[in-house]
Amino acid sequence: MSFQIFDLSRSITKKQTVAITGLMLISFVLVHLAGNLFIFDGPKPFNEYAEHLERFGIFKKIAEWALFLVFLIHIERVTSLVVQNIRAAGGLKRYAVDNSRGPRSLATRLMPFTGTFLFLYLICHLYDFAWANDQGIRSMINGKSLGLYGLVVNSFKNPIHCWLYVVAMYCLCLHLTHGVESFFQTFGIQDSRFTLLVRKLSRVFALMIMIAYSSIPLYVLYILKI
Amino acid sequence: MSKKINLTLKVWRQKNCKSPGAFEVYEAKGIDTDMSFLEMLDVVNERLTKENIDPISFDHDCREGICGTCGSVVNGQAHGPVKGTTLCQLHMRNFTDGQLIVIEPFRAKAFPVINDLAVDRSSFDRIIQSGGFISIKTGQAPDAHSLPVLKGRSDSAMDAAQCIGCGACVAACPNAAAMLFVSAKVYHLNILPQGEPELKTRTINMVKQMDKEGFGNCSNEYECEAACPKEISVSHIARLNQQHRKSNFT
Ligand code: HEM
Ligand code: FES
Repeated sequence: MSFQIFDLSRSITKKQTVAITGLMLISFVLVHLAGNLFIFDGPKPFNEYAEHLERFGIFKKIAEWALFLVFLIHIERVTSLVVQNIRAAGGLKRYAVDNSRGPRSLATRLMPFTGTFLFLYLICHLYDFAWANDQGIRSMINGKSLGLYGLVVNSFKNPIHCWLYVVAMYCLCLHLTHGVESFFQTFGIQDSRFTLLVRKLSRVFALMIMIAYSSIPLYVLYILKI
Repeated sequence: MSKKINLTLKVWRQKNCKSPGAFEVYEAKGIDTDMSFLEMLDVVNERLTKENIDPISFDHDCREGICGTCGSVVNGQAHGPVKGTTLCQLHMRNFTDGQLIVIEPFRAKAFPVINDLAVDRSSFDRIIQSGGFISIKTGQAPDAHSLPVLKGRSDSAMDAAQCIGCGACVAACPNAAAMLFVSAKVYHLNILPQGEPELKTRTINMVKQMDKEGFGNCSNEYECEAACPKEISVSHIARLNQQHRKSNFT
């Protein structure tokens, strides 16, 4: 029997790398959500939470770079998979009649597009809140800087800004609808008895993520009085 | 009751894998609805031959849905519109009078066109070869029950062994992935005591060969299961994923 070397370029290993990094990104999405929901408690708890994170100092930096690396790996591996897939199918235009019989859904078809959109969104999002000056003009409410809280509230008081975020969360929802279900299949923690259950649960999970995240900009725009 | 219908066929014609290929339109008149799809093509080919036109090439052998030789994409679906059916077992009663039928070969980089609708699926043979041997005692027929197999396992192995290797999964997969085929072929041996000793090498080598042949990567869209004439379940793919993951650590 020959000795097998761990080969990262093999198709299944590549997919499992995408799945693992996807799972890591999902955990980030959950942690990030938990922190963001402090906004419903008002300026003080929200800003305190943000300051609390800052106090981790070097560890926060390391975590951020690790997350960035995970992101890069996810994107690089996915790009390689998609390019191979298009080649294997002989280009984008394959059959004269496009008439699939299976359960292929919109979420499934759009995976590379929702993914790319999420990437673009992420850059805008970092520019919006992470790299912005949280004591500057954009953080002022009634002539007083309210720090990160002020920054977020002022941004979402603009309906276009608010709805762009909601659209981005819809993309995340579509991506996770297929992504979560896919994770189980790609990792082989799957059984035909549970296929439908896993599909339903991953839809519910994705929908809940979307609702929870979107509640923040929608709350700021339509409910919060300043 | 059988009746006669007239059809218009739009058929992919291609000399070989090097030439570009294009659609040609043919009339199929007075087709008996009790005919199979391949018999309908036979009728058209007889007429084409008389008219000095090259007959349409297509693969076939048993014509009873067990050999896996036939197969084309009919109106965008591998083996045509009926679930769990090979092209040879698809009957013309599933079409209506005056219908346009678009017939294309299974398209994938790993399935180069030989001629018209006939494609070269020897990549599947090479995947099977790469799986290697299984360990059994040769010589006299073994005693019954000398090698006990659990009922559940033998059922699962039989389910996987239903695969006739026709390639519809590749044709239907948007990525031209061969995962349903490979998973069925790997699994029906991996789960039995006769095939278990070589589980790891078989799993790794067949996946390696699959990649080498230029098939795509599964993105869990499950079009393969819907197109499979033997309705092989995608849970085999999950099992292959799992066994490949474990086989990586040897
Ligand atoms: C930033 C750009 C992103 C791109 C371009 C992208 C693209 C993709 C694509 C094309 C797939 C399908 C891979 C396949 O099935 O072959 C995929 C899978 C996945 N993505 Fe993303 N994605 C991105 C971001 C994210 C984010 C932010 C998350 C999580 C919050 C995520 C989670 C997942 C998960 C869980 C999967 C399933 C893996 C599997 O197939 O098992 N992705 N991604
Ligand atoms: S010709 Fe044998 S399965 Fe169709």
